[in-house]
Amino acid sequence: MFRTLRQLCAENWQWRRQVWNLAKIDLVKTYRGAALGKIWLFVKPAVYILVFWVALEFGLRSSSDVNGKPYLLWLSAGVFPWFFMSDMISTGSDVYRRYPYLVNRIKFPLSLISTFYTLSLLIIFSCMMGFTIVVCAICGIMPSVYLLQLPLVMAFMFVFWVSWSMALSPLSAISRDFSNLLKTLGTPFFWLSGILFDIGHWPRAARLVASFNPVTWVVQSVRDCFVYDRWFWADPESFLPFLAMLLVFVLLALHNYGRLYTEVPDVL
Amino acid sequence: MSSDLPANVTRMGEATVIRDEDASTPVAVSFDHVTKRYKLFRNDKQRLLGTFIRSVPYDTVNASNDLSFEVPRGSSLALLGDNGAGKSTALKMITGVCFPTSGTVEVHGRVSALLELSAGFDMKLSGMENIDMRCQLWGLSKGESEKLIPEIVEFSELGKYIDQPMRTYSSGMRARLGFAFASSIRPDILVVDEALSVGDRKFAAKCKSRVRSIIAKENVTVLFVTHSTAMAKEFCEQGIVIQKGRAMFSGGIEDAIAYYTAS
Repeated sequence: MFRTLRQLCAENWQWRRQVWNLAKIDLVKTYRGAALGKIWLFVKPAVYILVFWVALEFGLRSSSDVNGKPYLLWLSAGVFPWFFMSDMISTGSDVYRRYPYLVNRIKFPLSLISTFYTLSLLIIFSCMMGFTIVVCAICGIMPSVYLLQLPLVMAFMFVFWVSWSMALSPLSAISRDFSNLLKTLGTPFFWLSGILFDIGHWPRAARLVASFNPVTWVVQSVRDCFVYDRWFWADPESFLPFLAMLLVFVLLALHNYGRLYTEVPDVL
Repeated sequence: MSSDLPANVTRMGEATVIRDEDASTPVAVSFDHVTKRYKLFRNDKQRLLGTFIRSVPYDTVNASNDLSFEVPRGSSLALLGDNGAGKSTALKMITGVCFPTSGTVEVHGRVSALLELSAGFDMKLSGMENIDMRCQLWGLSKGESEKLIPEIVEFSELGKYIDQPMRTYSSGMRARLGFAFASSIRPDILVVDEALSVGDRKFAAKCKSRVRSIIAKENVTVLFVTHSTAMAKEFCEQGIVIQKGRAMFSGGIEDAIAYYTAS
């Protein structure tokens, strides 16, 4: 396992320039073939937020200011990270099928596919975060000192979701059933987290389940930066379960990747 | 689990792969008792179970079976064999996209492969973006690829199409671009897989003369995979006959062809 870890680090370091370039190429690929190109990067999340806002404001009447910040900011700080994570849950867990020619046509270390795909999604996420900060500043909500932890939160997100992708992609490549299962999991991941509701009011058992959902921690710590004004490690009840899941997925990634990476080109 | 292996050696179970970019060794490629075993499961579900439970039944096929041969640096060598003899599997192991089950594969120098020419491109990207990406993956610096790209585009004769998405290309156009790229990047070892009949007669002739000029260079090792004996005779000095995953004969090209046609 340590050998796999060392191999992964060495590969990623050796190919770092290519990883960066491929992340940019992935962005081009996603927004290619549309006349408006980059505009879609912002239109899709804007529509999403608008729909949620309308539904919650007028339909469920559950919107009110949170910690003195507008409800819309609270919502955006939950939905923007969800875009990143929903792509990681569906496509990120089956990333070898997105780049079959890198698996069995060109000599290319498989682990890098997970890295650069996550990186490209993280670039989009950073753009959205930058956009949020600017809009807040225009509306008179100045960034607080707690925004400084955002890069750290993103680093945690990166490590967790790269491990997620490395742990599950080999299995998805081997079996279509497995990749379909993960795509189906997107919905429970969304609803069993605190994206649309504050899980603080949930019964204790439900809260415990939600706290082991990595989506919950990510959403909550992004909100810590923008809305709640506190450090994410100040709430061990949500941070420790996330750390446990992180450890599980890192170990799973090392185990699955180390055992299966020679088999993936044979089956894809 | 020895941790003091040199950086160019990878061990996988019973298999060892030695791979570096040192193009000065006298042997460019060597296979030592290499076996590649494919596991055939009844369906995907069984395959997934098989990764967790050892007792799930499966068939095996040895695409390479105790295969041993050596390719000296600077030579041009033909791998002769019928369909299904295990030529393509051997080539995939040389290029590094698939891994042996047991034995030792040794490759010294950078490999460029003309395998299934239209593959290895992203259909969503344009021809130019694809070439740019492949140059980066090959490890060229920005300056080097800027010099090389016009050369590749000119050779492929794609003209204005180069900025169109790959998915709109005909198979001939893809193959032309594939050949232009793989033959332009100056590899130490060039692998050619039935690729010289690309496009029309004029382009095929151009390809042949390009390969001939690569062979003429010292230090470039060229591996041909073919069942066309005429092609092998035209380009190669040496030949290896592969049957059922084993190297049955190794020697001069005339003798190899004689052995292959007699068997």
